[in-house]
Amino acid sequence: MAKRILLGVVAILLLIAAAYASFFVAPTERTMGVIQRIFYFHAATAWAGEMTFFVCFVANLLYIWKRQQKYDWLGVTCAEVGLACITVVLITGPIWAHPVWGIWWTWDARLTSTFVLWLLYISYLLLRSLIEEPDRRALLSALFGVFAFLDVPLVFFSIRWWRTQHPAPVVMGGSGSGLDPTMSKVFFFNVFVMHVFVAFLIVERYVLEKLRHDVDILQREVESQ
Amino acid sequence: MSLLSNTATLLGKELRTEFRSRELLTTTVVFILVVLILFSFAISPTAEESREFGPGLLWLAILFAASLMLQPCFLREQTNDTLSSLRLAVSDPFSIFLAKLIANTLFLLLTEILMLPLFAVFYNIPILPKLHYLLLVLFLGSLGISIAGTALSAISAQARMRELLLPLLLLPLLTPILVVSATVSVSLLDREPIVQWKGIAFLGVFDFIFLTALWLFGEYLLEE
Amino acid sequence: MKNLGSVFAAYMIGWGVFFLFFLLIVKRTSDLRAELNRLKNSLPRPK
Repeated sequence: MAKRILLGVVAILLLIAAAYASFFVAPTERTMGVIQRIFYFHAATAWAGEMTFFVCFVANLLYIWKRQQKYDWLGVTCAEVGLACITVVLITGPIWAHPVWGIWWTWDARLTSTFVLWLLYISYLLLRSLIEEPDRRALLSALFGVFAFLDVPLVFFSIRWWRTQHPAPVVMGGSGSGLDPTMSKVFFFNVFVMHVFVAFLIVERYVLEKLRHDVDILQREVESQ
Repeated sequence: MSLLSNTATLLGKELRTEFRSRELLTTTVVFILVVLILFSFAISPTAEESREFGPGLLWLAILFAASLMLQPCFLREQTNDTLSSLRLAVSDPFSIFLAKLIANTLFLLLTEILMLPLFAVFYNIPILPKLHYLLLVLFLGSLGISIAGTALSAISAQARMRELLLPLLLLPLLTPILVVSATVSVSLLDREPIVQWKGIAFLGVFDFIFLTALWLFGEYLLEE
Repeated sequence: MKNLGSVFAAYMIGWGVFFLFFLLIVKRTSDLRAELNRLKNSLPRPK
């Protein structure tokens, strides 16, 4: 319990430090100006979200293989936390895009696959809510999770190769494309911080899932008396 | 070899069941027709727009139709609990999936071929020039839809609200099929047709990936 | 500094989404803990 509180406090402090770095340490971008600072938060959250979905994928595979409940708990936890990340990405992206390029949205590879990713994991959670029996729910959602994750690179490349005819603004500016060294450091610091924060959310959500399970067991015990 | 013979037997059963009543085929054909007509009411395209948007709308209609057509795939087995007897009858559960997905692909293809002349007439698009390539795209696209659809139909059959759930699970998953099939079809039906081999290869890759995933995980989809 | 408002908005909304998510977790956790205690107390004798 103490470790969890410690992680939470560290995560919040790091978030503040990252915001400070994004606003005051990183130099102002020449062409876009101040608005570019959203990039640090936006892109770092995107990376953390993608990592979370990867962990979800691994948890799904492990559940199918080992059938241990903890992997199911980890799966749903990562799906929800990942979804929160992607929601933030999908909101902060347009806020950045509109002042710079005058458009809220474009159907380029990255945005479209991010949105489809969001839809797929919403479906994952919906699927779970529609199956009552816990073991069946765990197995079927793990299987869907595997299919969904395999689909994501296919979505990305299909759009990249066949839908990017109209020159679309590269909304994330390509994090490696000749970024100023200070900007680069601030960016990777943000990436680190978002991963710590996401880890904190995952721990808290996982504990909730385990608690739910304990309550279910106790409920069944009470009912059987 | 028992995989092939099991699959062949089950495939025969699937085809016989459908051709006895033909209800799935007829309703699917009519559904695609209705959707295509409604599209032209909503958009009211010019001749040029028809050529540009028509194939995409056709594929959209196929996707909608497929997400309805795939519902009975495993629901049918639930009514008399035939699934457990099927599983006992075969050595490899993959043959159940293989039979169903081949049947579904055939049904979809048949529907599309029946639809093609009507599509050509309503949207004023000559389809004969590159017909063999168009059929190839229809085949690979329908195969992808069937593979993913059969797998997800097994999942949604075990959940509540399955009629709404299957399209919800399936349609986002099939985004690559929609994008690539539509684009390749547009360039095939253009005034100066081009065959996009990269797209056709991509469809093949999609089919291969999901078929492999179904092969690896199919038996768990059928667990009691 | 032209778009500073947008930057603040992005950070506020972004943090807001995470904060809301965290709040939901905390609320559900405390509800479940209460439920757990209620169930424990309703058991006829200690195990």
